[in-house]
Amino acid sequence: MNYALLAPEILLTILALVVILLGLLVSDRSKNVLGYLSAAGLIASLVYIIGTKGEGSLFYNAIVVDPLSQIFKLIFIIVSLLAVIASISYFKDNRNQDEYYALLLLATVGMMVVASANDLIALFVGFELASMSTYVLAGFEKKNPASLEAGLKYFIIGSLSSALMLFGMSLVYGITGSTNIPAIVEYFRINPTAAITTLNVIALIFLVAGFAFKMALVPFHMWAPDTYEGSPTVVSALLAAGSKKMGFVAAFRVLVLALVAIRIDVQMAFAILAVITMTYGNIVAISQRSIKRMLAYSSIAQAGYISLAFVVTTQLSISGGILLALGHALMKGGAFIAVAVVGYMVLSDNKNARNTDDLENFAGLGKRAPITAFSLFIFFLALAGIPPSAGFIGKFVLFYSVTVEAVRQASTWLLLVVIIAILNSALSIYYYARVIRYMYVLPPTGEKIKEPAPYVIAIVLAVIGTIGIGLYPEPFIRWAMDAARVLGVS
Amino acid sequence: MFGDYAALIVLLPVLAFVLTLFLGKKLYSGGALLPIAAIAGSFIISFGTFLEIYPDKTIQQSLSWFAGMNIGILIDPLAVVMLMMVSFVSLLIHIYAVGYMAHDPAKPRYFAETSLFTAAMLGVILSDNILQFFIAWELVGLCSYLLIGFWYHKPSAAAAAKKAFLVTRVGDVLFLAGIVLLYFNMSEVVSSRAFSLEPGSFILQFKSMFAAIPHIPPGQLTLITLLFFGGAVGKSGQFPLHGWLPDAMEGPTTVSALIHAATMVTAGVYLVARTFPMFVAAPNSLLVVAYIGGFTALFAATMGLVMNDIKRVLAYSTVSQLGYMMLGLGAAGMAIGAGAVGISMFHLISHAFFKALMFLCAGSVIHAVGTNDIREMGGLFGKMKITAITMIIAALALAGIGIPLVNFGIPFSIGTSGFFSKDAIIEGAFAYGEQTGDLIPYVFAILAALLTSIYIFRLWFMTFTGTPRSERHAHESPNVMTRPLIILAVFALFFGYTQSGFYGYVDKNFELMGVEMAVHEGEAVPPSIIIVFMPVIVGVLGFLISYYIYYQRKLDVSKFITSENPVYKLLINRYYEPKLASDIIGVKLTHNVVAQSGEFVDRKIIDGLIIDNIIGRTAFKLGEVMRRLQTGVVQNYAAVIILGIGLLVILLMLGGV
Repeated sequence: MNYALLAPEILLTILALVVILLGLLVSDRSKNVLGYLSAAGLIASLVYIIGTKGEGSLFYNAIVVDPLSQIFKLIFIIVSLLAVIASISYFKDNRNQDEYYALLLLATVGMMVVASANDLIALFVGFELASMSTYVLAGFEKKNPASLEAGLKYFIIGSLSSALMLFGMSLVYGITGSTNIPAIVEYFRINPTAAITTLNVIALIFLVAGFAFKMALVPFHMWAPDTYEGSPTVVSALLAAGSKKMGFVAAFRVLVLALVAIRIDVQMAFAILAVITMTYGNIVAISQRSIKRMLAYSSIAQAGYISLAFVVTTQLSISGGILLALGHALMKGGAFIAVAVVGYMVLSDNKNARNTDDLENFAGLGKRAPITAFSLFIFFLALAGIPPSAGFIGKFVLFYSVTVEAVRQASTWLLLVVIIAILNSALSIYYYARVIRYMYVLPPTGEKIKEPAPYVIAIVLAVIGTIGIGLYPEPFIRWAMDAARVLGVS
Repeated sequence: MFGDYAALIVLLPVLAFVLTLFLGKKLYSGGALLPIAAIAGSFIISFGTFLEIYPDKTIQQSLSWFAGMNIGILIDPLAVVMLMMVSFVSLLIHIYAVGYMAHDPAKPRYFAETSLFTAAMLGVILSDNILQFFIAWELVGLCSYLLIGFWYHKPSAAAAAKKAFLVTRVGDVLFLAGIVLLYFNMSEVVSSRAFSLEPGSFILQFKSMFAAIPHIPPGQLTLITLLFFGGAVGKSGQFPLHGWLPDAMEGPTTVSALIHAATMVTAGVYLVARTFPMFVAAPNSLLVVAYIGGFTALFAATMGLVMNDIKRVLAYSTVSQLGYMMLGLGAAGMAIGAGAVGISMFHLISHAFFKALMFLCAGSVIHAVGTNDIREMGGLFGKMKITAITMIIAALALAGIGIPLVNFGIPFSIGTSGFFSKDAIIEGAFAYGEQTGDLIPYVFAILAALLTSIYIFRLWFMTFTGTPRSERHAHESPNVMTRPLIILAVFALFFGYTQSGFYGYVDKNFELMGVEMAVHEGEAVPPSIIIVFMPVIVGVLGFLISYYIYYQRKLDVSKFITSENPVYKLLINRYYEPKLASDIIGVKLTHNVVAQSGEFVDRKIIDGLIIDNIIGRTAFKLGEVMRRLQTGVVQNYAAVIILGIGLLVILLMLGGV
């Protein structure tokens, strides 16, 4: 077996263990170095994934390495890297940094395993590895009740969803006698009569419920705002921008293959789910005062857009979904880190400040923290889908693919779905523009601060990625198209 | 070797823009050295590339961008001569600006913007497809807005910037419409399989466009080229969109030299030259180009006669000379086909040298006396020798003074660069007249040549001779300003001698792209001796008239220069163009009628009624209600998940399982 294909996972696992061990050896004060070490490991993995276009399968076809897995690993590593760089500032004085970085790396490995999983068991193991780690990360500020609450809620709902998903998987195993995804598809291909049964539908629904929890689709989303708001902001970035995408890659692999195999007409069901999710996310985001909560709802809305990919399941729509997932990782990760800078700013004004992400604290940010404010401005425009940005490219390909399919099927309601999605994009500008107004129009409430270098590096990297993909999307579109081709859709 | 790094020609000034913008404050002279170094780099690469590809190679690099579009570089003879000229002139102007802008506090912004501007212009030249061309073209427009309004605290500068932006925008919209129409036709042609793209080429690349010309319906082609020409009219200040250019003199003089002499305004001419095979295939458009160009040449020259602001005279002169270039493309294009590109481009480049020189001389004068008004100058010759001499060289070049010795059997003629370049255009217009019997463009050209000579020597005599008419102590400008003048003066004097080599090189341009252009029958008959001498005769005549009036002061023109005289009134009021454009079209029609009623609909009906009352309140209320669903109680969350599963079951059952 060619273990070199899994070099990034192996590297990061070893690194996580090394970080824990080193944590015992170095003094509390110099634990910062562990952050740099983790960042270096993530950069190495990133370079490896971009540089080597390996393909193959391992462990009796339970793990595959293909364009789909690699582009999602790229997403996960980018988000982790942004989070780690920002954490160097965020957790500067925390004594438990060793555990933090180790958990973060393990969560990343878990997500990467999900991206590569070609077997329901491997998928579940990856899910749990990532989930267990992030439960702890969400509650990492153990002196902060909000953080504890976030972790606990996340854990309870997460466990419920894991149970549902596991139940769905066991049904699939019962029907087909296999947990290997290609084998499942093959079974349905050979026994077409077995394909359309109520039991299949039930199994499918439980799987959808499990994935939808991760994707935070309405109505499986309710944990997300509470968790994102309460978690340490850098962890919110990881959850919203990274671990959420785990649900998408799993759904792409399992659902798309299963849908191709069992040919149930789920178009309408997914369309309704997608439309409800984006509309709900945008509307509730309007009335939020907490920016982290606003970003959480905006994430929900974005998940709604991405799940349009399931509605038509063409190669173009799935590559659009992947592109938006990639763009969202950068924009949302960057936005949360920018909010972390605001938190830093507010706390340096007043040590006992609460609700550091309140809208009022963004007043005059353009003067107080110019780089952060400008970057946040870019992220918001990108999230609203304004070119040239990764957000625009993703939405464009996605909406375009649905339109093409609507025209092909001569389907009015599918066209209506696109129109609702575009109107939703317009609606979202309202709450983004409100923050921009606070940042640039209202007078500052304090002195200009010196933005800590790690934050600035993370934010600027995210800006470069967001704009870079918008300016030169071709290689990413091609990668996403290759990734979608893996799923055997046309 | 240089060709491989051609992308750096654009990227270096872009980099200089970013660095100067952010770090300029901390660097010497507002960071002027960064753009200077970057543009020097662009020039070196351009020149090296020229040496590499001369005489018959081209460089093409292309990357797939998205949706069948590409980003790419095309360096052919046409592009490389422009690249060398723009980077060279821009370099000199940047050096000059170190002295000229020495006392301005906003230097970093100035140098950042001029650097970006140069990058955008170089981007226009390098583009291998019309879409990228348009993007860079728009960037040029944006930079010109920023630079014309550089002193934005002056209301007249802010207004001029706005006018320039809006008026050129009219052209840009036409240009964009042309691109859309072209794209539409191209995809028709490709999908009908009448024509297929070469492997590795893209739909809006120039070479694909040219290859598809025979398959595009002639009516469409005429419309596309006219729309393109609309863009060129805006950018190159042709009638009727010429009004912004003289107003644009509100910017620093170096900006005028950069934008309104050497680079931006020539972009329009370059556009027509770049897409010339399409124009040749649409002769009606070519006729429009010839007439608009010829008319503009004369029209602008009449206004140049009466202006008192030194920069405005030069501005009208620029408009007029751009008219000549268009005339060269149009009339000579109809007469001799592809060769017109060489003729017109040669004038473009020689004009860039002597017009940049004139603006820099004017800057030197303004720097010395602190006014733009030539009525307050006079007698500067003794005080500013270098400026005065270089200025007269530029004036001689503009007036096209020289002796066409070739016609007496001598192997070369003697003359300034303008003599070689302008005469070729006038002869081209004559050749067209001879072939078709339509001598109107030729008459435009020859009359304009007479007026050109009069106004430019009027300017020179009033500025540098006679007695000083104000109390200012003028002095020669520092070396950093005069050296660029001398270098440009050398080019204004001697550039003309490259004529035959230039034609030979640029004429091959479209051949190298594999474009076959219908070459018209009847190679220009050697014109009679009187025609050959005509431009020089009117040039000298103009000089004598000015000499008589403004140097010897034998003729008192003051009785003509009164508001009683309707002709003078018409000219000094610029044919009422500012009134028409700004007051009637701009303020009364667009602002008062269209914009106000739009605002009413937007504020009262859309915002007031629909957004605020219907959508806004509903969305807000819904948001409030839904927010309350978020109880914070984790049991409820779990219950909702179970509900969601129920919902899915219902949805899927409805789906027909």
